[in-house]
Amino acid sequence: MSSSFLRAEKIGMRFGGLQVLSDIDLEIGERSLTAIIGPNGAGKSTFLNVLTGVLRPTEGVVAFRGQAIGGLPLHRIARLGIARKFQIPSIFSSLTVVENLQVARWGSARTEWPEDELLEMIGLRDRRSVQGAELAHGEKQWLEIGMAIASSPTLLLLDEPTAGMTPQETADTAALIHRLNKKLAVIAVEHDISFVRALGADTLVLHQGRFFRQGPFAEIEADEAVRDVYLGRR
Amino acid sequence: MRDPSWLIAFAIGLLLLALLPTWVDSYNLTVLRDALIFGLFAASLDFFWGRTGILCFGHSVFFGLGAYIMALVSMTPDIPLPSLLGLLAGITGAGLLAGAVGYFLFFGGVRGSYFTIVTLALSVIAQQVAVSWSSVTGGDTGLIGIPPLMFGGLDLSGDVASYFTVVALLATVLLGLWALSRGRWGRILTAISDNEMRAAALGHNAALRLTMTFVISASTAALAGALYVAMAGLVAPDLIGLLLATEVIVWVAVGGRGTLIGPVVGAVLVQRAQQEISSFNPSLWPLIIGCVFVLIVFLLPEGVLSIGTRIRALFRRGAA
Ligand SMILES: Nc1ncnc2c1ncn2[C@@H]1O[C@H](COP(=O)(O)OP(=O)(O)OP(=O)(O)O)[C@@H](O)[C@H]1O
Ligand SMILES: [Mg+2]
Repeated sequence: MSSSFLRAEKIGMRFGGLQVLSDIDLEIGERSLTAIIGPNGAGKSTFLNVLTGVLRPTEGVVAFRGQAIGGLPLHRIARLGIARKFQIPSIFSSLTVVENLQVARWGSARTEWPEDELLEMIGLRDRRSVQGAELAHGEKQWLEIGMAIASSPTLLLLDEPTAGMTPQETADTAALIHRLNKKLAVIAVEHDISFVRALGADTLVLHQGRFFRQGPFAEIEADEAVRDVYLGRR
Repeated sequence: MRDPSWLIAFAIGLLLLALLPTWVDSYNLTVLRDALIFGLFAASLDFFWGRTGILCFGHSVFFGLGAYIMALVSMTPDIPLPSLLGLLAGITGAGLLAGAVGYFLFFGGVRGSYFTIVTLALSVIAQQVAVSWSSVTGGDTGLIGIPPLMFGGLDLSGDVASYFTVVALLATVLLGLWALSRGRWGRILTAISDNEMRAAALGHNAALRLTMTFVISASTAALAGALYVAMAGLVAPDLIGLLLATEVIVWVAVGGRGTLIGPVVGAVLVQRAQQEISSFNPSLWPLIIGCVFVLIVFLLPEGVLSIGTRIRALFRRGAA
């Protein structure tokens, strides 16, 4: 296997009798931007779980900078420079906003972003001493993103970063991702089409566990077959 | 507890303990001294249980191991600095055992109540070993004639000297544990107990962190055990068994889990109650401690200090 940045080969994932992912190939470069869309249950989160080593695929290999990550403990994978924002915000509820960010930093060998800049970035400067448990849902989403950034990754995977956000916040998130993308590679899974449009990234459509289409978003959006998938006609 | 109020409570407590010898007779001073040693033991359990949320039901194993090793080492004829070597050997021995237990359990993915059950079994086994291996441990009667604390020419065996030794060690260890648990170490532990998978996905090695925390906690328990036998002059299987393991949980829960000072206060108060009760019926105590344990587990999982929080919450709801 060549030492590309991130490479997934012939990924298959089965839960018991349920084949969730089949024969997926993906290769992305450093500082690339990729969007993954697809209907509910298409396997998007499962694919991110495989890419980040949370799940070990039943078939295929994932390699990061040439190193196979399947079977490595989660913390080792994180230390390679892979960070993840989970679909359901899973911040540390007994810690304050700023402590959440600190814990995220301490897990990484590198610290690229100063605390204040991070707080500014995620719009939680005034909320720095608030307990995680007391944050509103949207704020938890922001903090979750902030924690992923705080760990100074070179690859950032975001699972539905704008769920529960207002249109304005969604637009802000897209802008933030563009800004981050100057330094690191981003893969974003999203339902919200306006967000994916704002990202304007190379887009993959996942349908029933397979890559159904792949290309620039403008092309994907114009594709009749993709519309059919989203409208449930297939 | 917030930082300033913890430090204030600590300073007031230390001041009280420092002044106490001026008006307390030497008998009561030694009683309090021994109670404070068990307070140190309670704080050691709290450092682990309070921060990780994982209950160790066999903490007496480490206290007892420290006690037996201290006894055996310091009674060895003709060794230099017997007290110091005994303390160090006891602390190291307990730390190694905790490291092995942590390695097999935490790295094997064991958490929560499974950990509690395994450590409970450990305390039963340890007591059995202490009773059966009588050629070394003295069996049921234990060992007597353990020399008091001596460091070279420094004799700390007097009532007042030994009292101040305990107070000084207790204060130092409490400050150290507190600094650890309020700083980076403690925050990472809190994060791990909140959501271990998330902490791992941020690069934290949860199993290693839990194991190291357990080693620190167990070594502190062993320090308390070693101190106790040097002061009491004897060691017996009840210092390693299940009853003591249960009692220390009650002390921590009564005093307030996660506060470090609370468990020390809890240990002193509950032992005081034990003396009162045992003075008119010695066999009543295990029954009472068992009932208190059940009450705490079912009614006040957050400890007696949480009564205040609950009442305040009730008033707030009433006012709203
Ligand atoms: N651990 C699991 N065990 C069994 N089935 C699972 C597991 N995780 C996911 N699945 C199934 O795999 C399929 C894909 O789930 P996944 O969460 O990856 O979809 P998704 O594309 O992220 O959907 P959504 O848009 O709703 O988040 C679903 O049918 C789901 O029920
Ligand atoms: Mg999903």
